[in-house]
Amino acid sequence: MRLTSPVSGLLLGLLAFVAASEVAAHGERNQEPFLRMRTAHFYDVAWSTGKVNVNEDVVIEGKFRLFEDWPANLPEPEVAFLGNGTPGPVFVRTESWLNGQPAIQSVPLKIDRDYAFKTVLKGRIPGDHHVHPMVNVEGAGPLMGPGSWVQVAGRANDFVLPLTTLDGTKIDNLETWGVSSVVGWHSVWIVIAILWLAWWTRRPLLIPRLVAIDEGREKLLISRADLAAGAVLIVLTVSVVVIGFIWAENTYPRTIPLQGGRAVVKPLPRSDAPVEVIVERATYDVPGRSMQIRASVTNQGGRPIQFGEFATSGLRFVNRELPAAMAMVSPTYPKDLLPPSGLKLDDATPLAPGETRSILFDMTDAAWETERLTSLINDPDNRVGGLLFCFDDQGDRVIANVSGPIVPIFKDLVAHQGMTH
Amino acid sequence: MSAQLQENRDSVTLYGRRWSRENADLSRTFDILVVIIMFIAITAAFHLHFQLTVGDWDFWVDWKDRQYWVTATPILLMAFPAALQYVFWEKFRLPIAATVCMLGLTIGIWITRYSGFHTWSYFPFSMVWPATMIAGGLILDAVLLLTGSALITAIVGGMSFGLLFYPANWPLLAPFRLPMEAMNSLVSVGDYIGYAYTRTSTPEYLRFIERGTLRTFGGHSAVVSAFFSGFVCILVYLLWWYIGMAFARVATLPNRMKIFMGLHDRGAEGKDA
Ligand SMILES: [Cu+2]
Repeated sequence: MRLTSPVSGLLLGLLAFVAASEVAAHGERNQEPFLRMRTAHFYDVAWSTGKVNVNEDVVIEGKFRLFEDWPANLPEPEVAFLGNGTPGPVFVRTESWLNGQPAIQSVPLKIDRDYAFKTVLKGRIPGDHHVHPMVNVEGAGPLMGPGSWVQVAGRANDFVLPLTTLDGTKIDNLETWGVSSVVGWHSVWIVIAILWLAWWTRRPLLIPRLVAIDEGREKLLISRADLAAGAVLIVLTVSVVVIGFIWAENTYPRTIPLQGGRAVVKPLPRSDAPVEVIVERATYDVPGRSMQIRASVTNQGGRPIQFGEFATSGLRFVNRELPAAMAMVSPTYPKDLLPPSGLKLDDATPLAPGETRSILFDMTDAAWETERLTSLINDPDNRVGGLLFCFDDQGDRVIANVSGPIVPIFKDLVAHQGMTH
Repeated sequence: MSAQLQENRDSVTLYGRRWSRENADLSRTFDILVVIIMFIAITAAFHLHFQLTVGDWDFWVDWKDRQYWVTATPILLMAFPAALQYVFWEKFRLPIAATVCMLGLTIGIWITRYSGFHTWSYFPFSMVWPATMIAGGLILDAVLLLTGSALITAIVGGMSFGLLFYPANWPLLAPFRLPMEAMNSLVSVGDYIGYAYTRTSTPEYLRFIERGTLRTFGGHSAVVSAFFSGFVCILVYLLWWYIGMAFARVATLPNRMKIFMGLHDRGAEGKDA
């Protein structure tokens, strides 16, 4: 048997409990940093609202890129599913789209390509819920995007999910659809089982019967009436099964099997003015909570570019000096994922078309610690990854991949020696 | 009263042996205590076995497919009824073991679906209702009673156990197999329930369900699966009947620990250590 499924099933209740009790997070920070920094990079993520009533919709839209430097130990995203990281079914997902295609089925995705997603969630269970976009990749697990709090107000009992099937059946509420016939048929079988057990247990059971067998009188243990009851039971059981089957066929003449197909989704087109980033040296200053990446950057497009944002694992280090970059930050983006000091450069002059320059990118914030990305040092694969958002003089954006090995630095002194010229 | 039970004022004849009234009452009290304890123990053990083996196929409405659910559930369910039928029948001539198992399992499942899946984790019953498995248990017990033979029970009862599972559950399942349109796609109501109510760690592709094959059965894969399941049930029944036999035997080993501790154990070894 597949072990993951029953185990996950058994753990479900426990997981839901952890999700409900641990207000701050539901496990997204527990994934190894190298997985979070080098798999699915979510960007342009927006939540339509931070507060809904039961039965109202919240829409999550955005994009993600499956990172070029995909960890070698993870399977490629040949089977993936657009999920949502919520504490269980506190919302109901009524729609989800990948590049405009329905995402109700699983799809193969391509590495180093971008996808736009849209998920519509309908409030169901009142409370404050942390809502993430998420991509599940077979063999790799859930890849979480940034999380934002969405409050669901109202009463859980008011929730309804009505729909009409293709044969015209009107379902008032999917929550309770079919449940009465499930309970009814279970009851029929439970009653028959109890009658059968009562037929036998009403008489002396254990020791007298054991003694009778030991003393060779087992013929007395089963009467003609018992045999007749057995025959009746067979006829009754088969009849109830047949009657139930015919009833179901007549009541629901048009049915289909479970749909287990795979969809196909084309990735978004690539930029025709790429920026190439080659990491020369990346360091992480542990006590200073500062990541510094020195990289050789080449502008392969036709217009001068500036650097507006370094994004990794939901964290957005935005260059506050660059208006085009600041314009991309929606006021509703979670503040804990927007480090105030942002992205700093040692040389902010625009990079001319065709020019290559060595630039030092500085991202310093306690968020490295709170997001538990510093535990990179404990990982078996110490590589850093992220997206660099570049803006040309017309405000158009090009997204470059940044990845390379990273070296921890444990003393401020060494850090400065290493990084300055 | 039948020949089984004849009574007078001070004594009572139970299955051809005379018991004092007091002993008969004591024995009945013992019956009731043991029955209650056994029922709880069988329910707990069988339910655990069921959760760990059938698991997701029974947890979710969008896993109850025509291929794996139909094939796997009866095969995996067969273990406990077969083993306990040996004990109940050979030791007590009681043809109720399979029914006890299935009734206990049904009660155990409903308790976890209600408390764990519905109340605790918010899943609606339309998503997490359990399949019914009592019909197969009744047939196993009735066939064993009428034939008194493990082999015939395996063949007739085992095959019926596999064959009856799907049709017995069809009236429960059919409402969830109605076709509907969601996002310009055709899905069944069950698929949509599974899609709508998020299981964060169980994405669509994890479903171990019929995905279609070129070896077509004219769209009747449930029938083929049920026959295959019935066939395997025959073998599994016999296997577990004998496992039941092995567990019902009282075995003793010579006490080697005593010898290691410097104590003589002549009884088992027959010589000085
Ligand atoms: Cu979260």
